[in-house]
Amino acid sequence: MSTQTEPVGARLSVTELEDRAFELREKLLHLCGTYEGAVHIGGDLSSADILTALFSYGMHVDPTNISNPERDRFVLSKGHAAVCMYIAMAIRGFFSYDEIVETYGQLDSAYGMHPCKVQLPGVECSTGSLGHGLPLAVGMALSARNRGDDHRVFCLLGDGETGEGSVWEAVMAARSLELGNVVAFIDRNRQLMTSFAEERIVFEPYPDKWRAFGWNVVEINGHDMSQLVAAIDALPAADSNRPTVVICETVKGKGVDFMEHNLAWHAGSLGAADLQRAMAALEATRTKESF
Amino acid sequence: MPVTFTFGEMLSARSVIGSTLAELGDEYQNLWVLTPDIGATVIEFRDKFPDRFVDVGLAEQACVGIAAGLAYDGNIPVVSGMLPFLSMRALEQIRTDACYPNLPVKIIGTHGGLVGNGGSTHYAVEDLALMCALTNMTVTSIGDPLMVGEVIRQSMTMQGPLYIRLAVGKKDRVLYEPGQHEVRIGKGIVAAEGTDATIFTHGTTVAQALDAVAELAKDGHSVRVVDMFTLKPVDEELIVRCAAETGGRFVVLEDHLAYGGLATRISDVVTDHGLTLTAFERLGIPQVYAGFGNDEELRNKHGYGLEATIAATRRVLAAQA
Repeated sequence: MSTQTEPVGARLSVTELEDRAFELREKLLHLCGTYEGAVHIGGDLSSADILTALFSYGMHVDPTNISNPERDRFVLSKGHAAVCMYIAMAIRGFFSYDEIVETYGQLDSAYGMHPCKVQLPGVECSTGSLGHGLPLAVGMALSARNRGDDHRVFCLLGDGETGEGSVWEAVMAARSLELGNVVAFIDRNRQLMTSFAEERIVFEPYPDKWRAFGWNVVEINGHDMSQLVAAIDALPAADSNRPTVVICETVKGKGVDFMEHNLAWHAGSLGAADLQRAMAALEATRTKESF
Repeated sequence: MPVTFTFGEMLSARSVIGSTLAELGDEYQNLWVLTPDIGATVIEFRDKFPDRFVDVGLAEQACVGIAAGLAYDGNIPVVSGMLPFLSMRALEQIRTDACYPNLPVKIIGTHGGLVGNGGSTHYAVEDLALMCALTNMTVTSIGDPLMVGEVIRQSMTMQGPLYIRLAVGKKDRVLYEPGQHEVRIGKGIVAAEGTDATIFTHGTTVAQALDAVAELAKDGHSVRVVDMFTLKPVDEELIVRCAAETGGRFVVLEDHLAYGGLATRISDVVTDHGLTLTAFERLGIPQVYAGFGNDEELRNKHGYGLEATIAATRRVLAAQA
């Protein structure tokens, strides 16, 4: 296998990545407190560490050359975490956070509730309807494989959206096509919009489902940066023949105690007082040893 | 293998698709063919370009999504399958993954209309209404088997998604001599000249319309047949011209729901342009689940067979201006 394109700049340490994830959460909350409409803050916060690890560590991407054919591709299948992705990308140097926070959700803004490739060419694809991302990722990976490129295609899914049949169609296709360059990350926050996973919809034995479909399965704590880094470092070669799923156990609302495990914070907005309370809660996590 | 044929005889549109794609695969190294287990049409391509052929099995949604993923990466994917399933099971993938980002995903399929005797699960009768509703989608329905090849060829340089509807595609009457008509996506074809009325049609019923006007000619009627093979964007200029040149007498004949397909497209143009027609009749599938029978039997049963076409055209011809 030929060498991977190296990321621009030195690789960040786990501590530096944790700082970036903290910055991402701060910026998310700030935006949530600024924007008048609802933000999918719960699922943003559960994805924040994964997206930081991918954009600031795992993926070979270059903000100064977004159409480099050798770049790793990223498909945000859980499109409602768009704002978390925008900010993770801004922290990586793709976009201006100020522009995101000033224009988010407004008329003619490139930064909307769900990512749009046409309006924001820096993202790889338009998503938002759940269950669509993995088939797109399989198509991109197939294209790479056919050209002999050795980049990977990463796809972030929520566990809830894996209730969609189209996900499992793509799971079968990726295995059948032997696409080891497909890497799915599951934000296993165990909450859907209106219910808790396992209470109404039984996903378990969840990792076994993926194993049964022939995928390489990795199970980690999706808020532990060292585990995220280790999982990325241990990914099989892109030209291998089994797709990988990294099932990340997460907490919806992670980092803000009153949002965690709380169905009310699937989406919401923060008034001034709530914002202050949320920021204080986030700040308090800094001092906790086991964030 | 080049396709050989004789005008007026039967030819398989599927073989034209297969040979055309196999031919284009050389010129377009980024051309892919995908299918959800309906691969017979494209065996020639599969055998020649196995690395750019994907059979995902029974998974229409993934098939279209994977095609869109390929297109995002600069490829030209053609999805070949049966339209009742592609147009509905994968409707949201077509809309959101192909049309929304305006990707050059081509959907080519069979079983448009009451054809193939599979029953209502296997007839695509709503597909054109659905596809015409999608922003960025170009919608075609083709009867002449050789035209399929020409449309596929033209589509290689097209931006955006394309839908190509066929009937069964196994035995199709060759309607036109090669070079007889200019085939251009977005332009209707005047398949028969006439001045007293126009029959607008598309796909498998073009042949029936030609038979109807041959019959009417015996009584001295001069009826035009327009093969409106592109439903979207529809050839507005030709519709306006036909209103002026054929006495404002229109029949629309199609193997699709009578409401929502070409008749609806044409009546929209009539309304938008403020045209005054002398008479307008639409012949198509009523709101029923059509049952079993061969193509001709079903058309006759549901009121848009040859006799019904002749009768409707006579009524339109007899209408007082």
